[in-house]
Amino acid sequence: MTSGPGRRLIPAYLVTGGRTRPAGPALDRLAVLIRTDTDLPPDTGSEQRRLCELLEPGALTVVESAAHLDLPVSATVFLVTDLAAAGHLHTRPPIPSAGEIDRSLVERLLVGLRSLH
Amino acid sequence: MGWIVAVIAVAAAVAAAVRAQNAARSERLALARAELAERQSKAAEARTVALVDEIRQLARKRIPAAALALSHPTAQVPGLREAAEVDGDSARLLTEAVQAARTAVVEERGRVDAAARAAMRGTSAKIQSLLNQSQQLLHELQHEYDDPRILQLDFRNELALRRTQSTAVLCDAWPGLARQNSPLVEIVLGAQSRVAGYERIKVANHLRDERLALVARAAEPLAIALAELLANATAYSHPDTVVQVTVQQSGGRGAFLIVDDAGIGMDDDALDRARTLLAGPSEVLLTELGDPPQTGFAVVGRLVVQYGFNCHIEASPFGGMRTILRVPAHLLTVMEDDRSLSALAPKPMQAHATPSVSAPAEPEPAPAPQAVGGHPAELPSRRRRSPRPTPARSASAAVTRDREQVSRTPEQAEASWAALQQGTLNGRSVAGRSSAPAADDHPPDDHDDHDDQDDQGDDEK
Repeated sequence: MTSGPGRRLIPAYLVTGGRTRPAGPALDRLAVLIRTDTDLPPDTGSEQRRLCELLEPGALTVVESAAHLDLPVSATVFLVTDLAAAGHLHTRPPIPSAGEIDRSLVERLLVGLRSLH
Repeated sequence: MGWIVAVIAVAAAVAAAVRAQNAARSERLALARAELAERQSKAAEARTVALVDEIRQLARKRIPAAALALSHPTAQVPGLREAAEVDGDSARLLTEAVQAARTAVVEERGRVDAAARAAMRGTSAKIQSLLNQSQQLLHELQHEYDDPRILQLDFRNELALRRTQSTAVLCDAWPGLARQNSPLVEIVLGAQSRVAGYERIKVANHLRDERLALVARAAEPLAIALAELLANATAYSHPDTVVQVTVQQSGGRGAFLIVDDAGIGMDDDALDRARTLLAGPSEVLLTELGDPPQTGFAVVGRLVVQYGFNCHIEASPFGGMRTILRVPAHLLTVMEDDRSLSALAPKPMQAHATPSVSAPAEPEPAPAPQAVGGHPAELPSRRRRSPRPTPARSASAAVTRDREQVSRTPEQAEASWAALQQGTLNGRSVAGRSSAPAADDHPPDDHDDHDDQDDQGDDEK
C-alpha cells in the first residue's frame, strides 16, 4: 500500500472493518460503478469519500477504482458494497462478451421451424 | 616442760583452726565456682538454643522471604526473632547471610533472565523475518485473487508479527525494520491495523499540518508503541465500546497521540506499576512481567527510553484509561509534496466545532485533485471532461451513454440521430457509389467520429 521498500504500513484489510465477507452480493472485477446524486454523510470514511470522488467525473469498474485507491479488489469490494447499500453508488454487472453461437441449437431451431410448415 | 606442751597444743589448735577455716573457704570458693560454671553453661546452652532458633528462622523464613521480596516488593522480610538473645556479631553475620543469599539470587536471576532474553531475541528475529516474508506473499496474493479470506489471513499474520516484534523489543532487540519518513496519520493507522478489534478504534485527526511525519528511525518504534497501547485499550474494554485515538499537534512542535478507552480501568497498584514501566526503567526482567507476561507497558517503556517518546497514563473521562504518547519535535518532520497520503488516512478535522454536513465535505475537494493528479504517471486515468478515443469497450459504452443522457435532452438526441439518419439516406440516394467510403469513415466505436457525424447531421439539417 505505501510506497517505498520494506513492510507496508497500512494493510488493505483495514477497510473491511473486521468483517469476513462484503455486505452485499458478490461483485465482479469488471462491474461498473456509477455515483448517484446523494450527499455523503459527514462520518463517511476518507477511503469511501475518495472512491466517490473518483466516480464523480464518470463510471469506473471495480478493478479500476481499486487501482486508483491502491487497494486490492477484494478490499475495494467491501467499500463498494457499503456505499451501494447506503445508496451512494449504483453497481452494474459487466456486459458479458458475445459468445459463439451454439450451432446444434440453431440447427434444432431450424428443424423446428421447418416442421411447423 | 608443761608450758612447752601447752604451747605446742595451742599452736596445733591454731593450725587446725586455720586449716579448717581455709578448708571452709576453699569449699565455699569451689561451690561458688561450680555455681558460676553451671550458670555459664546454662547461659551458653540458652545462647546456643537461641542461635539454633535464629538459624532455623534464617533458613526457613528469612532467606525464602528475602528471595520472595525480590519479585514481590510488598512481601515482609522477618528480622531476628529475639534480638537480645543473640550477641552483636552473630546477629550481624546472620543478617549478612540474608544479604548474601539475596545478592546470589539477584545475580542468578539476572543471568537466567539474560539467557532467556537472548534465546527469545534469536527466536523472535527468525520468526519475524519469516512473517515478513509471508506478509509479502499475502500482499501479492491479494492483488492477484479476489478472495476476502486472504485479507483475514493477512490480519492474522499481522497480529503474529506484532507479538513477535514486541517480544523482540522487550528482549532489547532492534525493532527489525527500517522505514522511510512516514506520515503520522499513516503510522496511527498502521498501529491500528495490528490490533485485534481494530474496527472499534476510531481515529480523529486534529493535525494542523496534514503532512506531519515521523523521521525514519522513529517511525516503526512509534507504530509498535502505539499498537501496544491500543491493544491494551481494546483488550480491557467491552467489545461494544469505541477506542478513540486523537492525533494532535502540541503548542510547540511536538505531537500527541491520545488513546481513550471506556474499559474497566486500573486499580492504584496496577496504575503505579504501569507508570513505573512506562517511565522506562533501566532493566525489565521477563520474570517480573507475570504469567502470562503482560508485556504492553514494558515494551512502551523500553521504546520511550530508546527513542525519547513520553508516555503518561491516567483515568479517562470516558470511564476507562487514557494514555498520552508524546512525540518530541526532533522526531517530527513534514512529508514532501510528491508523496500522496494513503486513501485510508483520515482528513484533518478543521472545524470540529461545527459538525454540519457541509463542513467536513469542504476540505475534501482541495486535496483530491492533487492526489488524483499524482497518479496519471503510473495509472491510466480517465477524464471524461475532455473526451478522447479510448479502446475500453464495456465501460466506455456505458460512459458515453451516460454522458449523453446527462448533457442533452431526449429531444435533442432524437433530433441529432434523425438528422444523421436523414443525412445518410440522402447521401446514399444521391450517389450509391460513395456509400462504401462513407461507411469506412464510421467505425462504430469511435466517439469522436460519432460527434463528427452529429455535426454533419446538424449541418445538413
